[in-house]
Amino acid sequence: MSQQTYLIARGIPSRLTLPEIMNHLQRNRLISFVSAVLLFCATTGAQEPTSEQTDMTALFSKQIEPFLTLYCNDCHSGDEPEGNLSLDDFARLQEVNGNREVWLDVVARLADREMPPELAMQPDDKELSEVLIWLETELGKYDCHLDAKPGKVTVHRLNRTEYNNTIRDLVGVDFQPAESFPIDEVGEGFDNLASVLSLPPLLMEKYLEAAEQITAKAWADESIRKQLIFQRPSDEVSAQQAAEQVIAEFARRAFRRPLREGELDRLVKLYQLAREQEQDFDSAIEFCFQAVLTSPHFLFRIELDDVDSPDAKRPLNGFEVASRLSYFLWCSMPDDALFAAAADGQLDSKPGILDQVQRMLNDPKSDQFVTNFAGQWLQLRQLAKLVPDPELFPQFDAELRMSMQRETELFFDAVLRENRSVLDFLDSDFTFVNRRLAGLYGIDGIDSDEFQRVTLQDDRRGGVLTQASILTLTSNPTRTSPVKRGKWILDNLLGEPPPPPPAGVQELQEGSEAELLGSLRERMQQHRADPECAQCHRKMDALGFGFENFNVIGQWRDKDGNFDIDPSGELPGNQGFNSPAELRRVLRTIKQKQFVRCLTEKLLTYGLGRALESFDQCAVQDIMKEAEADGYRFYDLIAAVVTSEPFLYRGEKGE
Amino acid sequence: MSRSWQVSRRTVLRGLGASISLPMLNAMAPISQAATAGKTLATSAAGLPIRTAYVFVPNGVNLSKWTPLQDGYNYDLPEILRPLSSLKDKVNVLTGLTHDKGRANGDGAGDHARSASVFLTAAQPRKTSGGNIRSGVSVDQVAAKHIGHLTKFASLELGCDGGRNSGNCDSGYSCAYSNNISWAGPATPMSKETNPRLVFERLFGGDTGKDKHAADQRTVLRKSLLDFVSEDAKRLQNRLGRNDQDKLAEYLSAVRSIERRIELAEMEDDNRQLVNGYSKPEGIPKEYMEHVRLMVDMMVLAFQTDMTRTATCMFANAGSNRSYRNIDVPDGHHDLSHHGGNDVKLEKIAKINHFHVQQLAYFLKRLDSIPEGDGTLLDQCMIMYGSGLSDGNRHNNENLPVLLAGGGGGSIETGRHIRYRTETPLANLFLSMLDRSGVQVPRIGDSTGLLPYLS
Repeated sequence: MSQQTYLIARGIPSRLTLPEIMNHLQRNRLISFVSAVLLFCATTGAQEPTSEQTDMTALFSKQIEPFLTLYCNDCHSGDEPEGNLSLDDFARLQEVNGNREVWLDVVARLADREMPPELAMQPDDKELSEVLIWLETELGKYDCHLDAKPGKVTVHRLNRTEYNNTIRDLVGVDFQPAESFPIDEVGEGFDNLASVLSLPPLLMEKYLEAAEQITAKAWADESIRKQLIFQRPSDEVSAQQAAEQVIAEFARRAFRRPLREGELDRLVKLYQLAREQEQDFDSAIEFCFQAVLTSPHFLFRIELDDVDSPDAKRPLNGFEVASRLSYFLWCSMPDDALFAAAADGQLDSKPGILDQVQRMLNDPKSDQFVTNFAGQWLQLRQLAKLVPDPELFPQFDAELRMSMQRETELFFDAVLRENRSVLDFLDSDFTFVNRRLAGLYGIDGIDSDEFQRVTLQDDRRGGVLTQASILTLTSNPTRTSPVKRGKWILDNLLGEPPPPPPAGVQELQEGSEAELLGSLRERMQQHRADPECAQCHRKMDALGFGFENFNVIGQWRDKDGNFDIDPSGELPGNQGFNSPAELRRVLRTIKQKQFVRCLTEKLLTYGLGRALESFDQCAVQDIMKEAEADGYRFYDLIAAVVTSEPFLYRGEKGE
Repeated sequence: MSRSWQVSRRTVLRGLGASISLPMLNAMAPISQAATAGKTLATSAAGLPIRTAYVFVPNGVNLSKWTPLQDGYNYDLPEILRPLSSLKDKVNVLTGLTHDKGRANGDGAGDHARSASVFLTAAQPRKTSGGNIRSGVSVDQVAAKHIGHLTKFASLELGCDGGRNSGNCDSGYSCAYSNNISWAGPATPMSKETNPRLVFERLFGGDTGKDKHAADQRTVLRKSLLDFVSEDAKRLQNRLGRNDQDKLAEYLSAVRSIERRIELAEMEDDNRQLVNGYSKPEGIPKEYMEHVRLMVDMMVLAFQTDMTRTATCMFANAGSNRSYRNIDVPDGHHDLSHHGGNDVKLEKIAKINHFHVQQLAYFLKRLDSIPEGDGTLLDQCMIMYGSGLSDGNRHNNENLPVLLAGGGGGSIETGRHIRYRTETPLANLFLSMLDRSGVQVPRIGDSTGLLPYLS
């Protein structure tokens, strides 16, 4: 298994920057702030390379090798090393940046004292800090820009949402023709991943039928028809000339670029063929439009490579950038203003791009970014399928479910449109409620079914983690699941997905008999007595139990059945908390970089429509750095994403 | 829509089975002749078409209540299989078959995703949640490639769950693996249709109203439209890199399959008349059982009218966490399948398994109610039913629960419990089923040869 596969399989956080590692070290009280600063300066300052290298090599033999032998190699060596991580080959290991991802993982786990595992012999603080400092020094020498490349997005079939919206904007009919298309496949948590979106025969049939339905609807609407057929045959204009103009305009917009040589001729031939089959002018045009709507140039977003050097890095042209922007922020085709910006070179410069982004985010079409990105990032779409036990939670109904989803969408929308810090997702002092939600949350004085913004008066709620949507979709039908809640946070907010449980694990005892054994927390503790389980559950459960004050549908509670709720816990690195409010603050402060990294990666994945590769880490770092200056405002993050190299260039693809 | 309405409309479908069988066969005549004119592709000794369906259920089964204690003809039906009692002599229970490529083999967790993608491909899927998905070609699609040209639809892919819309589906495996058992190529899962109304329209729909002349013109235009767009795709292909070319190849092969269908348009007219008496299903019913049964009805109709000879159906996607309140199992199926040996959970799993087998029994009875040749449609079928995991708790891939129903046009001796040597590849069954359809291929996935003892 490759390192990459290993990392993915283990769900590695990894990819810390040097300052982040420093942060780790300080938190863990391994080194003082002063020494951290000194170390940072020392590692980045200029030094005689040879002597430094000699020192580092000497230190490796003196500190690192013995450390690894003593604390790690019992498990991480031999033919079948634990977690598929073998630390056998010291000579190779010394080339830290050649095994960068492995070592970043090692550092993160050591710093969190996740490794060595609880029952194993533990290094003291001094030993640990020596090793970490050595590793960081080595890791700090790495310049990610050396490995960075823009990557390559496969031709991108429009997904169902994109198809619906594009047809609406292109033709003017809005009837969700893609509703009957097969569900798009999902990769990396998003349904817009180019390489995963396939085109089975069933879908091709649907495209053909949809094209016919779409033009039929358009032709049936006099004003739409007039707009599309803006030129008719007359005394001055022959039918052929009129057809040329009408078809050229439609195809240009449908293909989202100027027509290439010969393209119009071929379409006009098609028009003539229809006329020969006794079709009148309008029907022949309709037929050509159907061909355009079935053409790969419409159904796919295509960025051509240079024939001679297909992997050479090249900047995307204005029209390609326009499509990337519009499908990112609108899930639809560019509008006339964006086409114009592409044509006059505005999109060749970052300020020009950002002007458009501002405008696009102010357009109502950017709601699509909220529903599709937030719906998938936060997994709100899952909510539609969940049914809490109707006997235990009779108040849960379709309306409440909708309200839950809407709250989180409105909240996301506010963070976006008010250009707030994305850290508000972790904790905030406001949210949106209607009558039903206010009832659920115990907020007085909200009688309307309309949503309104409220300032939260107590410390119980704040950020998405205490919104009923997230609390419900991370619960089982009959009880809360601290494990699911913890896992959800690790997966979606911290970008640190835990590995799945080993096969054959004993499940938690449930039901009234089981409760004789103790509270849910007590039973969970017994459950993870197995050290193999404890390793991951420690973190997951601590996060999840921090939100135990919220029941299956997100209502506040102080008791679970007969048991008092104990929301206290501790995250690795002695970060203790006693309430959901404290846990939220821990997340917002201590975990902020990890969260921003996670969100940045999700944004970039969604924006590009491809899985990120290791060489994208540099872009991720640069984006974070750009947004950091003003406290990670949402717009700054988006601006940095759309002006990043992977977004504006095309080059060699990943594996 | 009310539930009772759904039931009654299904009853209509059911009732029509017998009454249309005779004209049916006449309508099929041209195709059967075409078949015998070439080779004996997908055709029984009696000259009747052989149809094959593969049915997938998720999360393994409660094996202790699935596996018969005795071997051979005289075995007692275990609890889960009891819905098949009236069909016992038309079913074989196959024990001991294995999907080695469903195992981790170094790829770690993700058994559920693997269990579906391996189910009909017997190929190890590449572990990825992003791009570069890669599995194998599934047995139904191998059949479709060889015998698909004989019928209007090369194959039919059905299911009851759409894709999951967000999240990774299983431990780093793309949702494509969990949601599809049918793969036309290693990177091309065949999306399944989950809406019975759309299946019906696809099979029998189209514009009946227009006159012949208009219809002919339309065919000419459609053909030239398809010519036009495939020309587009071919021109593009020359200008694209490898991955991009693959996408365009998918496009081209999809266009070709439609072109072929247009060429078989005459058939369509005959069949349309036959199904004129049916009213279309109204969409996806609320009740899961009704949904499963409507999808089953669509398979029966498609087989009956010889629209296709190959179908797949996923009763649910891999790792499905559906709750079965209708049989008093409110818990999620996947949650339950991690039973940890708990008797209460095992009992609930058995109930779900039993429920699924009831739906299979419905399918088989429908097929068996339709006379064809000297016997019934079921006698002309090979219906393979099973799961890609054997025990949902241990996530193991040996000793899979597998049933094979139908006589395969007289080529299969049914009514037995057949026990195979452990680790016998399930893919060997696929080879044998293809062989009975007149399709000889050297291997499917990890197959090692034909499966013995079937005839």
